Amino acid sequence: MSVMDLLAAVRDADERHRIFAERLEDPLAYEVEHAFHFSAKDNLCTSDFQARAGSRILEGYRPPFDATAVARLRQAGGLLIGKTNMDEFGFGSFSTNSATGVPRNPYDAARSCGGSSGGAAAAASMLEGHLAVGVSTGGSISCPASFCGVVGLTPTYGRVSRWGLIDYGNSLDKIGLLSASSGMIRRYLPAISGPDPLDPTSQVQPPLDMSGQIRSVAVPEEALTGLSGSMRAAFEDAVARLERMGVEVRRGAMPALRFALSAYYILATAEASTNLARYCGMRYGDIEQETDQSFNEFFSRVRSRGLGREAKRRILLGTFCRMVGFRDRYYIKALQVRELIIREYEEQFRSVDAVLTPTMPFVAPRFDEIESMSALETYQADFLTGPPNLAGLPHISIPCAYIDGLPAGMQLVAPRWEEGRLLSLAERWENGFEYRRPEGRA
Amino acid sequence: MDEGTVRRVAKVSRLDLTDDEVSIYAADLEDILSAFAVLDEAPTGEDFDLDPVPVEDRLRDDEVMAYPDPGRLRREMRTADGWVRGPRLA
Repeated sequence: MSVMDLLAAVRDADERHRIFAERLEDPLAYEVEHAFHFSAKDNLCTSDFQARAGSRILEGYRPPFDATAVARLRQAGGLLIGKTNMDEFGFGSFSTNSATGVPRNPYDAARSCGGSSGGAAAAASMLEGHLAVGVSTGGSISCPASFCGVVGLTPTYGRVSRWGLIDYGNSLDKIGLLSASSGMIRRYLPAISGPDPLDPTSQVQPPLDMSGQIRSVAVPEEALTGLSGSMRAAFEDAVARLERMGVEVRRGAMPALRFALSAYYILATAEASTNLARYCGMRYGDIEQETDQSFNEFFSRVRSRGLGREAKRRILLGTFCRMVGFRDRYYIKALQVRELIIREYEEQFRSVDAVLTPTMPFVAPRFDEIESMSALETYQADFLTGPPNLAGLPHISIPCAYIDGLPAGMQLVAPRWEEGRLLSLAERWENGFEYRRPEGRA
Repeated sequence: MDEGTVRRVAKVSRLDLTDDEVSIYAADLEDILSAFAVLDEAPTGEDFDLDPVPVEDRLRDDEVMAYPDPGRLRREMRTADGWVRGPRLA
């Protein structure tokens, strides 16, 4: 694609689908020699754009450095074309909780892109050859990948340095990649992976081995309840296709999965409530000028104005779950349940190479449908993506069906550090299954 | 979750909530926490880690640097009898 075509495609996709919180507009910048173009979710710091993480409270925040993952992709020849729209601080599954623009699904502009990496998935879907960097805490790469019909890889927790990532939950956040097919992800995952002295949690990883294979998968029965009828049928068709490809499919049970979502939300919101304490109007972004109040009054006023409804809800929930008197029943229990889920996956991996489920229980909902969902209902939509995220295991969402023209994904979870086998399977899948492209895609 | 608890948690979190907001969040959180009660059915473990993977701290050697102008630092400090005075905390 020529430089002018790329610029036009980016501008067009952005205007119609509100993909970018900020993007490269200068045509001269597009002429810089590059091997590929990429975008970064707006919770990743880059020195050439604001980093607002979908929040009003970070309006005007211009980081003085690049996140490690971004720097490494630039070193690999990537041109950063923009920062993609997202739910505020990662709080959401539909990218509707955004103060910088709500992205619209490439297949139907009245529908959500999913979240919280909604803009990233839309960019991957709409721009030829694009690599989108996303972040997942509870499923924020898988969900939009499924809704937008792209491949989304969430690496093992600790595989990619989180230096320069605006935290949601430190023990859960993972930086990953989305693209229209697995090739770009396979090529550039090594670039962003690897130990970084600036992130201690990235230091214990073994080298990335891309040679793994998937010969057998387990489908837990818990993953088949609560799906829409059409999703269930589409998933079974995908399973049948995998069997024809020579993958052995075993049906099993993972009873601990029913605890995963609650444990995830408790841990994630507890960590988030601590991490968001720093947004008090004095350190990042535009500085509040009225300082006639006490510190606590000042902080409370700034935070109440700058944080959105879902952010407040999660701060309240997370603060509560770790308060004295409630901590044992919620926070400590959630930590114990996390261990339980990790062990349950390990048990499965003794006999199969991956665990397979649908990615989401339904296709992309319409915006009016989302507005009538309660907070709990939106959380419950994550029941399939929550477990691998809680366990820190690598997982991939691969487009496997189109239901009334809307994409749906299947999710494979591999043992810790085994990203390679997930991408190998995606590549094999792509040999037989043809991905569609949205109309108006460049 | 009752409204009194919501107000208490909001104060700790440094969030000013309107009466309407307190009411809405109380209902939401009640709903959510009822769903989370499923955790009571999960077995308790003895051990648990705060991190899902082992974390290793890599340390570096101290890099000794001289403060550019110790004299200026001393001039701008509030001192008494050769000690530096800090702000009163309580």
